[in-house]
Amino acid sequence: MRQTMQAIRQTAVQLLAAMGASVLSMTAAASVEIEHWQTSKGTDVYYVGAQQLPMVDIELRFDAGSARDGDAHGLAAMTNRLLGTATPKLDETAIAQGFNQLGAQFGQSAGRDSATLSLRTLTRDRLYEPAVDLFEQLLVEAVFRPEILTREKARLEVAIKQKATQPPALASMALWSRLYGDHPYAHPTEGTLASLDTLTRDRLQAFYDRYYVARNAQITIVGDLSRAEAEALAERLTQRLPAGNRPEPIPAVQTVAQPGKAVTEFDATQTQIMLATLGVKRGDPDYYALFLGNHLLGGSGFASLLMEEVREKRGLVYGVSSGFIPMRQAGPFMIRLSTQNAKAYEALDVVEATLKGFMDGFSDEKLEAIKSNLIGGFPLRLDSNGKIAGYVSMIGFYDLPLDYLDAFPKKIAALDKQAVLQAWQKRMTFDQATRILVGQPQ
Amino acid sequence: MTATRRHFNQAWWFLGWLSAIWLFSSLAQASLHTAELDNGMRVIIKEDHRSPVAVQQVWYRVGSNFEHSGRTGLSHMLEHMMFKGTKTRGPGEFSDIVSRLGGQDNAFTSRDYTAYYQVIGAQHLETMMALEADRMRNIDISDEHFQTERDVVAEERRWRTEDRPSSKLYELFRATAFINSPQHHPVIGWMSDIQNWTLEDVQAWYKRWYAPNNATLVVVGDVDPEQVLDWAQTYYGQHAPETIEPPKPQVEMPQNGERRMTLKAATHTPELLMGFHVPSLVTAKDASEVYALAVLNHILDGDDSARLTTELVNQSKLNSAASWYDSTSRWESLFTLNATPKQGQSLDEVEQLLWAQIERLKTELISETDFQRVLAQAEAQHVYHQDSIQAQARLLGMLASLNLPLDTYDNWAKNLRQVTPEDVRAVARKYLKADKATYAHLYPNGEDVSRKAPPAGGMH
Repeated sequence: MRQTMQAIRQTAVQLLAAMGASVLSMTAAASVEIEHWQTSKGTDVYYVGAQQLPMVDIELRFDAGSARDGDAHGLAAMTNRLLGTATPKLDETAIAQGFNQLGAQFGQSAGRDSATLSLRTLTRDRLYEPAVDLFEQLLVEAVFRPEILTREKARLEVAIKQKATQPPALASMALWSRLYGDHPYAHPTEGTLASLDTLTRDRLQAFYDRYYVARNAQITIVGDLSRAEAEALAERLTQRLPAGNRPEPIPAVQTVAQPGKAVTEFDATQTQIMLATLGVKRGDPDYYALFLGNHLLGGSGFASLLMEEVREKRGLVYGVSSGFIPMRQAGPFMIRLSTQNAKAYEALDVVEATLKGFMDGFSDEKLEAIKSNLIGGFPLRLDSNGKIAGYVSMIGFYDLPLDYLDAFPKKIAALDKQAVLQAWQKRMTFDQATRILVGQPQ
Repeated sequence: MTATRRHFNQAWWFLGWLSAIWLFSSLAQASLHTAELDNGMRVIIKEDHRSPVAVQQVWYRVGSNFEHSGRTGLSHMLEHMMFKGTKTRGPGEFSDIVSRLGGQDNAFTSRDYTAYYQVIGAQHLETMMALEADRMRNIDISDEHFQTERDVVAEERRWRTEDRPSSKLYELFRATAFINSPQHHPVIGWMSDIQNWTLEDVQAWYKRWYAPNNATLVVVGDVDPEQVLDWAQTYYGQHAPETIEPPKPQVEMPQNGERRMTLKAATHTPELLMGFHVPSLVTAKDASEVYALAVLNHILDGDDSARLTTELVNQSKLNSAASWYDSTSRWESLFTLNATPKQGQSLDEVEQLLWAQIERLKTELISETDFQRVLAQAEAQHVYHQDSIQAQARLLGMLASLNLPLDTYDNWAKNLRQVTPEDVRAVARKYLKADKATYAHLYPNGEDVSRKAPPAGGMH
């Protein structure tokens, strides 16, 4: 479509100097040029032009996740779910047909920090124009029909009851609840059986009016639009949105609510195991060192220590991994695995020993190998519009610098073993960790 | 509509190559190049210069449909053992090298093929090709590593199937729908078979199927095709072909009368599967039936305008409903429907609602609006598909492994366009018959699902 600018240009990256002699034969890395501005209504826009394919990904992201539920657990998710089901002029069938006959894909999602509406469409005028019109209409003219709410609550009830029979889901719910206690991150995003009755039409309408407003929104655009077209699109999507205001910050998280061990008996062949504690906020300066350390500990599949000890040496699991979920406030750090019931405590012991060994130190050689993986693998994180859109949206939502992607491999390259160990020892204490087992552990 | 910015100079290209036969593709994308090495290995290269990244995949024509009773799952176990070292590389060394170079590597096994892949900075492609070619013929594994990995696969089966009632139901459903063809068996194998494989079983399976003339190399990304073919010749070209004995036909016997099975497991929600034997692009005498079935599937469940959503779920008649159809199975395929009831609704009632939808397809012709929607979606999907180099490589490798034309997907929308409403009604009448149906019902284990049932969201 029309005027172009390369999204991903190949640039020589000055990494080798920073890395020392041995590691890389890398000569080129992907680079993403993010442009940022505000619409006249005060909505932040993040744009990357990518003209190779005649398509565009558009996402509106609101600070309207389940952390904003208040006492109506599941409110954010249900409000998001019902957007796109009705407007004063269109019913559910007409809306679905409207997108589908254009080959456009409309999407919704709700997490703890945010909720999104998204559109992927071809950029040929006769398809793009009506798809964007419909998208805008759903956003600003949402109607919450009681019969659809009743139906979706019935389906949610079935889903919640079904989750109570799935050990991985039980372990995950226990993790959030035990780490966060009374904090708004604690409850499941979709709510609970007990909170279903609080999801009334009036509450949904009020939530929509409060949070789906221009100053509480950001727009991400990646694809075959020029800067001028992207500006016009962003204006069009926000023109009819009320300006509104940003909500108060989500409260900080202080300590793990329930440390210790929790066993839930469940009739299954495997035990689901999680070892978790509080991690960090998105944007934390220590995150690079923690992330690099985690990549070595359990974040990189077969290259990680946990996989080597628990699977490769002992055959105890199919998969074991560790990871941070950085959020607006401190998100979880967790190690998760599942093994046959008879080996559950043996596997947990190996995990604990591996973690302790890692916190005490690791070989420089392993660290260099994992740095090399992260730096050399960076272009793989940016090799499609879909992946780029995900990163750009994250950068915008968490107020990260626009050169975050370019800077990331350089920050990693600059870290040595001492820096990684210091960050882990300073920030990650496991005496307050919680251990969750679901199954019949022996 | 093409994904590439750089077009290929055909004449110059052709002169550059003598030792391998290049076929200039007549496909929609000028960036696609195909060749066959002297030893019979197929080579498929697709340029995509959007990012400095390449994916290599090597596909072997072997999977669970090639296996025999008592040794089911062997293809998948062999896939695991391919990471355990060769005569010159230690266990895990392959993945260590890929990791140090910033790549990602893994493998997958299906019913009809086994594939290995690496995604990596394009400058490292040659290293990947050398490593992958090495393990095509040279794996060397100890019994100790075999025993440990067998335990890993047993855990994989527990994780993937044993503790997931819906997965288990699907496994038993297929075993009911297919009696004498190899599709009876699950890809991962039955647990008793897993626990009794030997190192010799795996070694024999490797020797029998892993040879250049039973393999396809696919490379997609920021590459120079001439250079890639040169490396393919250097590394894969060194292996001699083997005599590959194709599996026996094992044609599934005709089904006369419905089949039913039930499973009780740790679930809250009952579930229904319902399936009918149908042809695939590989097995069909008349490919137009396959395209008609694809349209039929889209009418039922292609998107949220499709009938299972708009007429059953949105109208609160069912909790969920879906259908799918694997149009590229090497053996006979299944047209499958899946649904869960509302609270208190019986599975018999669910069946009746699905049957009403099938009856409608047999009596009413689909509308022009519905048909145009199917076509619009197919055309848009074809563009979206090109956003991922891995998805592109995977599609090409699959088509090659099934001996289907590489432009099958490029011509997909065009072929759907040839389908008439009468064709859709005809395949519904021909294949979706009561006497040809297989049903699987999942029920909760009574009240005692979780032995100390926790309140939702809480633990003890």
